[in-house]
Amino acid sequence: MLGKLLKYEIKATARLFLPLYAALLVFSIINRFLNPFAISKPIDNMSAQLFIGIISMTFYYVLLVGTLVMTVVIMIQRFYKNLLGDEGYLMFTLPVQPWHHITSKLLVSILWTILSFGVTAGSIALIANIKDLGKKLTEIIRAIRHITGDTALFLIPVFILTAIAFYNVMIYTAITLGHLFQKHKIIASFGMFCVLYFIYQLLAVLVILIMSSAFLSPITPDWKPTPYEINVFLISLILLAAGLTTVNFYITNTILNKRLNLE
Amino acid sequence: MNNIVECKNLTKMFDTKKALDNVTLSISRGKIVGLLGPNASGKTTFIKLCNQLLTPTEGEIYIGGIKPGIETKNMISYLPEKNYLNDWMKVSDIIGFFEDFYADFNTKKAYDMLKSLEIGPNDKLKSMSKGTKEKVQLILVMSREAQLYLLDEPIGGVDPAARDYILDTILRNYNETATIVISTHLISDIEKILDEVIFIREGRIVLTKTVDEIREETGKSVDALFREVFKC
Amino acid sequence: MPWDIQTDRPIYIQLMEQIQLKICSGIYPPGSRLPSVRDLAQEASVNPNTMQRALAELEAAGLLYTNRTSGRFVTEDTEMIVHVKNKLAEKHVKDFLKKMTELGFNSDEVMSIISDIVETEEMKYE
Repeated sequence: MLGKLLKYEIKATARLFLPLYAALLVFSIINRFLNPFAISKPIDNMSAQLFIGIISMTFYYVLLVGTLVMTVVIMIQRFYKNLLGDEGYLMFTLPVQPWHHITSKLLVSILWTILSFGVTAGSIALIANIKDLGKKLTEIIRAIRHITGDTALFLIPVFILTAIAFYNVMIYTAITLGHLFQKHKIIASFGMFCVLYFIYQLLAVLVILIMSSAFLSPITPDWKPTPYEINVFLISLILLAAGLTTVNFYITNTILNKRLNLE
Repeated sequence: MNNIVECKNLTKMFDTKKALDNVTLSISRGKIVGLLGPNASGKTTFIKLCNQLLTPTEGEIYIGGIKPGIETKNMISYLPEKNYLNDWMKVSDIIGFFEDFYADFNTKKAYDMLKSLEIGPNDKLKSMSKGTKEKVQLILVMSREAQLYLLDEPIGGVDPAARDYILDTILRNYNETATIVISTHLISDIEKILDEVIFIREGRIVLTKTVDEIREETGKSVDALFREVFKC
Repeated sequence: MPWDIQTDRPIYIQLMEQIQLKICSGIYPPGSRLPSVRDLAQEASVNPNTMQRALAELEAAGLLYTNRTSGRFVTEDTEMIVHVKNKLAEKHVKDFLKKMTELGFNSDEVMSIISDIVETEEMKYE
């Protein structure tokens, strides 16, 4: 059943994301040829090309920011509308476990988050006209590796994934908790998000403080962490995020399972 | 277990208002049952509790002898009073959706009925009128071979011709071992097809009887009795 | 002959009456096979359970019989059909007489009214 849910979730979201990505890539190609970085020339030199360049550049920025904003908006909307709105009447009468619903929403949202970042990064690279992209990337990675060591190079993507999952599920939890209220569900959801965010930030700071006092050298202004210290940092943050995600997932699932009230 | 629905002391509160008040009720298999009451009398609340879309404040509910869950969702085919169709879908998408999730969905039956309404597989749900969407939803629901059909106001907002079509569709697809519960306040239109009625007012069950008992005992139609019981 | 169902009397009784009428008038001739319960119910726009009940009652009365494999049939006993027909006639006449009495006619007057009307009706067709 999870597979079928994933199939429909991808279908429902792909029709929103794919055109957006296509538009973004098309505009980055256009902008590349219009050479908008020539805008630094004086205004009296305003040519038609420059004018079009400015317009298309503006469009491009809107699209760029839009893609990232849309990723979050669609993630929230898919959960709120599809499960807790009118469409929930269909979704929650399917012979499917609630945790399958949450999992399918989460996995598909992670997929689009990664793709959105990938596409925006790709489009910036296109526009910036970076030659030898591969070579530059290797250089960057090498620079990071120099500071962090090999393990961290593996830990960073894991950390990013956990962080995406953490924020997704936290938003789901906030929405589901907000839905328990009889009135003003959206405001309640937002309030819940703020409360959760505050608590979890506090926890994160606490964990970092404990970790640093236990494992790390004292933090001074000219503190330079060793690769070992960075690993300890990353692993504790990954564990914290994974643990909190599990808790949030459990809360969301329990509410959808035992306390659902679609009105 | 001869009762498809059984509930004991079922209560549902919204804030401080009781939408259902200590309802004890059983509905047997193989019957067409009218759940009749004025607006906001608790009909929809009852049906949503059967579907686990609402959680009871107190009391218990059993569908085919078990508590609502995945198994009962396989038994129930539910027509809500809302439009739950995803607007971006085509007719063939939503049929595929039902086929994927419900083992008892009869695809051929669904397409046959859609064809009789001249709705094609490539029609978009978005461009349909409200009435057509309601019919599509009914066709989806009646194309399942379920044990319990819960139809919430199936003839609520449609014209008399569409009403006949809907009742005809319900009758044609009814199999005698299943139970159909139809909630409505438009009684004269459906009373000919009912076996039993449940009158509900302000969250309480006022009367449960077979329609023939009503006619034999009172010499009145269900509609006439309803008007008498619910006189303002 | 379309189905005519009122909602203020038990529907199965009305269905029984109307099926009897269809048998007497030859729409369902003796020994013929009846449509399925489902089809009959749909034709009359009633619940199949109600139609089933009406048919079962008629079967108990002997007017219909069921062959386990091929369905439900009208009895071949024409005498019984005639009997039912007479019963129906009796009922209609009694109903009629009751109304005429209410209107204040005595039986002689009723007879003469009937023969007058029958004569004029016959003249129409000649």
